[in-house]
Amino acid sequence: MSNDNPIIRITDVSKYFDQVAALQSVSLDVAAGEKVVIIGPSGSGKSTLLRTINRLEDISRGKIVVDGFDLDDATVDINKVRMEVGMVFQSFNLFPHKTVLQNVTLAPIKLKGMTKADADAMAQKLLDKVGILEKADVFPAKLSGGQQQRVAIARALAMNPKIMLFDEPTSALDPEMIGEVLDVMVRLAREGMTMVCVTHEMGFAREVADRIVFMDEGQILEVATPAEFFVSPKHPRTQKFLEQIL
Amino acid sequence: MTKQCKTSVDPGHVVIDVGDGAAIPKPSDKGLVSAWRLSFAGALIVLACLLYFKPDPYLRIFKFVPDGILVTFQVTVYSIALALVFGLITGLGRISRNKYVNLVASTYVEIVRGVPLLVQLFYIYYALGRLVHVPDLLAAVLSMSVCYGAYMGEVFRAGITAVPVGQTEAARSLGFNRTQTMYHVILPQAWRTILPPVGNEFIALLKDTSLVSILGVADLLRRGREYASESFQYFETFTMVAVIYLIITLILSKLVSIMEERLSHHVKR
Repeated sequence: MSNDNPIIRITDVSKYFDQVAALQSVSLDVAAGEKVVIIGPSGSGKSTLLRTINRLEDISRGKIVVDGFDLDDATVDINKVRMEVGMVFQSFNLFPHKTVLQNVTLAPIKLKGMTKADADAMAQKLLDKVGILEKADVFPAKLSGGQQQRVAIARALAMNPKIMLFDEPTSALDPEMIGEVLDVMVRLAREGMTMVCVTHEMGFAREVADRIVFMDEGQILEVATPAEFFVSPKHPRTQKFLEQIL
Repeated sequence: MTKQCKTSVDPGHVVIDVGDGAAIPKPSDKGLVSAWRLSFAGALIVLACLLYFKPDPYLRIFKFVPDGILVTFQVTVYSIALALVFGLITGLGRISRNKYVNLVASTYVEIVRGVPLLVQLFYIYYALGRLVHVPDLLAAVLSMSVCYGAYMGEVFRAGITAVPVGQTEAARSLGFNRTQTMYHVILPQAWRTILPPVGNEFIALLKDTSLVSILGVADLLRRGREYASESFQYFETFTMVAVIYLIITLILSKLVSIMEERLSHHVKR
């Protein structure tokens, strides 16, 4: 599913923490509407790669263009780019001093100048969509992990992003809560959202991904459709990884 | 108490109650609240007894010092307000990525922490007073707030760095810039951790305002000394002064704990 005009274009990106290479010459294009799932062993650089897409991590070398904006161009307002790119974290990171509704409305009100009434109405729609409208006036500490993560997804969607990044969204959850979060993500995928997900949920990858990216030691070793990836992985490291987890 | 642990050495005699296993008493624990009530009631009763049973000299002292109380109150309130501003600026400076801003803030803290408050008071009042005329009250407020601003700067810095980095990442990923993130997300949360130590600083500051009586400022202690040196009734005067300080301090500490409760209530529900 390559495209001449990708919404994310990562070209030859390397990143070093001190002397250690977290990413080595990584290149990846993501087309609008595409769902890419990044998997790999821990420490393989998959989260780092994801976080470079909205520049939560700076890169040492290479080029990343998101929605036409070169992230290293000094004239590009990174905050404008970030408004187009929603992000969901492993540890939810909801704002504990705001209610669920306020978590969702804070950014649209402060950054887009939306009126409180409009923002509330939109937030209620989003909370309904992630199935947690009845908790709108509760503080995050009162919610389960799965509920918090669904609020976090609604919060990211409130900025009406073109791209959604998921950084191991279910890894911090109790097993019984993983499903409710994945359901929301699957629905989002069906609506045509461009998604890049780092996850260990192979079922989700198989069901949703257009392409699966396998990483190890800061490099992309294999990019394949789920059918190819799970049935006939090419790279020996991929084969070994899949043997271990499946 | 939901659970009790009974240890019987001699059956039926030794009972050790370890409560419900929570080592740290909660703020709602009645045992803690009563400490404040006890001191406050005690102070009021002592005051009332002194005024009622020995109006001479206590009532006369009590009538002599109120303008001193007002001055103490003024110095305290202005200094707290200004120290909060200095503290916030210093705290933000200490975590700044700009090395010059960081250096200036850190140097300020090191110097102010290293010089006794009384020396700072003298310095601003006398040494600076030779160059520019500084009114008494302003000199007092300035030295108090410069000093406490440095302490509070450290408290602010600790409170801000205690907010998990994920909060910053979440805010930045939504498109908030550094300043907006600090204002909307980090500071409101930092304020919760900061309030108890800042409350302590408020109380310490109130008590330290008594140092300004050394200068020309007619605060509570100064008025007390004036009365004592006229009447030679040192014991009575300073008993009265101490009781009044205690009552004011207790009121302030109550205000701080009410604020604390409101904030934690807001988050925990």
